[in-house]
Amino acid sequence: MLVSVLGFAAVLVLVFLRMPIAIAMGVVGFVGYAEIRGFRASISMVGRLVIDTAQNYGLSVVPLFILMGLFVSKGGLSRELYQASYAFLGHLRGGLAMATICACAGFSAICGSSLATAATMSKVAMPQMRQYGYNDRLSTASIAAGGTLGILIPPSVILVIYGLLTETSIGKLFIAGIVPGLLGVAFYLLAVQWTVVRDPEAGPAGERTSWGERVAALRGVWAVLLLFFLVIGGLYGALDFWPLNLTFSPTEAAGMGAAGAFLIALSRGSLNLRGTVQVLVEAAQTTAALFAVLIGAWVFSNFVNLAGLPEALQDVVTGAGLAPMAVMAMILLIYVALGCVFESLSMLLLTVPIFFPLVIGLGFDPVWFGIVVVVVTEISLITPPVGLNVFVLKGVVGDVSTATIFKGVTPFWVVDILRLALLVLVPSLVLFLPNSM
Amino acid sequence: MSGTFGEPGVGETVSPRVPGVWGYVVMLPTWLAALTLFVLMAMTFADVILRSVANDPIESATELTRLFMAIIVFSALPMVSWNGQHIIVDLMDPLFARRAARVRDIVIDLFCGVILLWPAKRVWDLAERARDFGDVTEYLGFPQYVIGWFIAAFTLLTATVFIARGLMRVFARSKVPD
Repeated sequence: MLVSVLGFAAVLVLVFLRMPIAIAMGVVGFVGYAEIRGFRASISMVGRLVIDTAQNYGLSVVPLFILMGLFVSKGGLSRELYQASYAFLGHLRGGLAMATICACAGFSAICGSSLATAATMSKVAMPQMRQYGYNDRLSTASIAAGGTLGILIPPSVILVIYGLLTETSIGKLFIAGIVPGLLGVAFYLLAVQWTVVRDPEAGPAGERTSWGERVAALRGVWAVLLLFFLVIGGLYGALDFWPLNLTFSPTEAAGMGAAGAFLIALSRGSLNLRGTVQVLVEAAQTTAALFAVLIGAWVFSNFVNLAGLPEALQDVVTGAGLAPMAVMAMILLIYVALGCVFESLSMLLLTVPIFFPLVIGLGFDPVWFGIVVVVVTEISLITPPVGLNVFVLKGVVGDVSTATIFKGVTPFWVVDILRLALLVLVPSLVLFLPNSM
Repeated sequence: MSGTFGEPGVGETVSPRVPGVWGYVVMLPTWLAALTLFVLMAMTFADVILRSVANDPIESATELTRLFMAIIVFSALPMVSWNGQHIIVDLMDPLFARRAARVRDIVIDLFCGVILLWPAKRVWDLAERARDFGDVTEYLGFPQYVIGWFIAAFTLLTATVFIARGLMRVFARSKVPD
């Protein structure tokens, strides 16, 4: 126990010194493992891990989903998504903010990244909301909050990482993210309504769109919808009928998604050779950085398990006679607190190797825990002082202070906490879809 | 890309500011990674279509996927390290004065470079062992040690990049991307 606590402290010191997380976790894991089992055993473990991780078939899902998200971003589909949402919601009070939330959800359905969702949508939604006299607080907050959906609504890069770290089925995790994601949309819409009821000036109604125009707007987004249903339907096994006979492994779903997004972007004329190369390079580089971190996290995780930290933690919990739910509440509180200062992936990588065995030992479902952790991570993206989505927005919009955005985000933050409580108290909301696979 | 793991699309530099032919040479591994990724995507797509339509999947797809992954990850790694695109926590940055930050970055880069020499050596040893045993991949019969060599060589290159970055922070600070 003591040696792993020391190890954890050492990792924290090193990452605060700006050492890449991958190397910090790897070095501490390596030294710790060597302390217990000797240098030779430790270096053998690291060497094998490097070779095996690089050639792991299951991991190929990572670059392909990243690629899909990048092609979609480059494809300029965000404008159509926003227009379609606006056609249906724009005439309501707060309608543009609600359209923003829905467009963000649509974008999340093909992009696995919250920051990319927020950055992309802000370019489209912000000018519109300004034009209709929305105050900055509501308009920026709806984009920052809507953007967080990117990591929950499948495909999601962070769910992939969780699945890989804990050997939980990525397909099930994706399917499990759907209902909580839709709940998130519904709750955010309520938050918008709450804001405009209290302050009608915050989000005046736009013009009503005729049904003809609504159908026309839908025509702009059918390709995105089709791609989503192909990828998620194939993963869920919903397309396994004649003549399609399609069931996808996560890698295949990602490959189809990436190729589909590539073809859509190509057919829209928004992708030339230079753009394609840029996207491929960015995806490969992001993948390399993620794999480095995965290898480091695995080395660290091997050390922590060898040192018996999970068992020790479990003994502490049993010894204190705590109910599993009380322990879960504590873990979630720790996550919310860590989320105030840590960026999402760092938080996940540092904590999952420690908490996951404990949580499973207490009888919680691994898929459910993954979703709950991602929802907590979403909350951290809009929690001061380092809510990253808020800063992305600040970066794109420029002339709005972060304090204004954080103030506007408050109702969204509150409904996020409510949603978290709901998912914790009613786990079947998360689990009934994946369990029916 | 501090803290922007798996969060692509938020404007980051992908190519270094190096002039002339050398600029192309240093990008070669990265382009290899990009090309391999494209081939991986096309192959997965073709595999699914062939399996579904003609009931004739690409039988070596799984093995090729694993090979491609090794190429993508490790050939991109040196440039990722040079550009400082590793995932870091920059939470404590305001606490460091400029001089202290400089010393910190030099020490961290040199440390990372030196520490990576061990896994590079170990992977090389494992590759040599695979060569002695004549290990090949199950389906295509591709020699395992070549993959091992590739991984070892690029880990070594990454280590060198870190050390070079640390040294250049001392001697030619303006040339190090952050």
